[in-house]
Amino acid sequence: MTGRILLKTALFFLIWMALSGKFNFLHLTIGLGLSLGIAWLNTWPLTGDKMRVSWVGVLTYVPWLFSRILASSIHMVRLILDPKLPIDPQLFGHQTSLPHHAAVVLLGNSITLTPGTITVEVSPNELTVHSIDPASSNDLLSGTLEKKVATVFPSQPRMKA
Amino acid sequence: MGGPRRRMATTIAIIFLSLGLFFLLVAAIGMVRLPDVFARAHAVGLTDTMGAFFMLFGLAIYEGFSLNMLKILVVFSLLYLLNPVVTHATIRAALRAGVKPWMKGPS
Amino acid sequence: MREFFIFVLIQLVILIVVYLYRVVQGPTVYDRVLGLNGLSTKAIILLVVIGTIYDRVGMFVDISTGYALLNLVGSIAIAKYLEHGGAA
Repeated sequence: MTGRILLKTALFFLIWMALSGKFNFLHLTIGLGLSLGIAWLNTWPLTGDKMRVSWVGVLTYVPWLFSRILASSIHMVRLILDPKLPIDPQLFGHQTSLPHHAAVVLLGNSITLTPGTITVEVSPNELTVHSIDPASSNDLLSGTLEKKVATVFPSQPRMKA
Repeated sequence: MGGPRRRMATTIAIIFLSLGLFFLLVAAIGMVRLPDVFARAHAVGLTDTMGAFFMLFGLAIYEGFSLNMLKILVVFSLLYLLNPVVTHATIRAALRAGVKPWMKGPS
Repeated sequence: MREFFIFVLIQLVILIVVYLYRVVQGPTVYDRVLGLNGLSTKAIILLVVIGTIYDRVGMFVDISTGYALLNLVGSIAIAKYLEHGGAA
């Protein structure tokens, strides 16, 4: 426990030094105090369940998500600039079996971040999604997005509803 | 300073800024054209992701490797983390308050 | 380069006026909130561009970070309030 706090403090202090760019006594003392306080606040249990994040998964997930965002942005631009405005909005529910609250949050955020689909309602097992036309929701319906999110959180299913 | 490296950074910055302006313009057109709140939220999402990405990345490249580039990237990642939350909150409020989504009529 | 940045600024201001049209005109109150959200993203970019013109990006980026965080808190508070149609 103490080790984690110290690790987080060191990380926050590094970020503080990088962003403040000043190395006199006053700035360093304030930064150290604040990073210690924030690291201590971060140990309070907020969600109640532990999670493991695979950093390899994160490093492959972010570029993949970005390529999807680029592709669907171009699709969206084509829709908006079309004189006939060929949109066909739909509202549908999507069942997920992701093991973790954080994974569901990541899935919902990724859906909203991708132009063309927006998460409207979230519960641990079901997301309500609004999509602007059927082609936009392909990724979600084929399950590709969910599989990619599952690679980020490799932990065992331990969902507390 | 100066030299070919600086000139190349400037060229890349101009290209990225122009692309970003294009996406922002399309998003503004969508904001006016699209029929209801739910559809307009998609246009705002386009601004938040692609427009902000190209504009801020272009400016970061123009700054070159420095503290300022790091700070611009911090703002950029902040936008990517926070904007989906705000869009989702607004749209959820609209749905819960009983706004009916616009659907394509039987044609 | 300075001329190009000023051109970008003018473009951004024109786009902000388009969003203001949606904020003033919007049929429902949610359109207005959404318009304000999109407007704030553009204001953040505008601040960074102004900082680049005056060669003081460090300071302006700090301001825009604060603006982004304030926008988050404000928008979520408004959305929470409007969830019951503004009645609660």
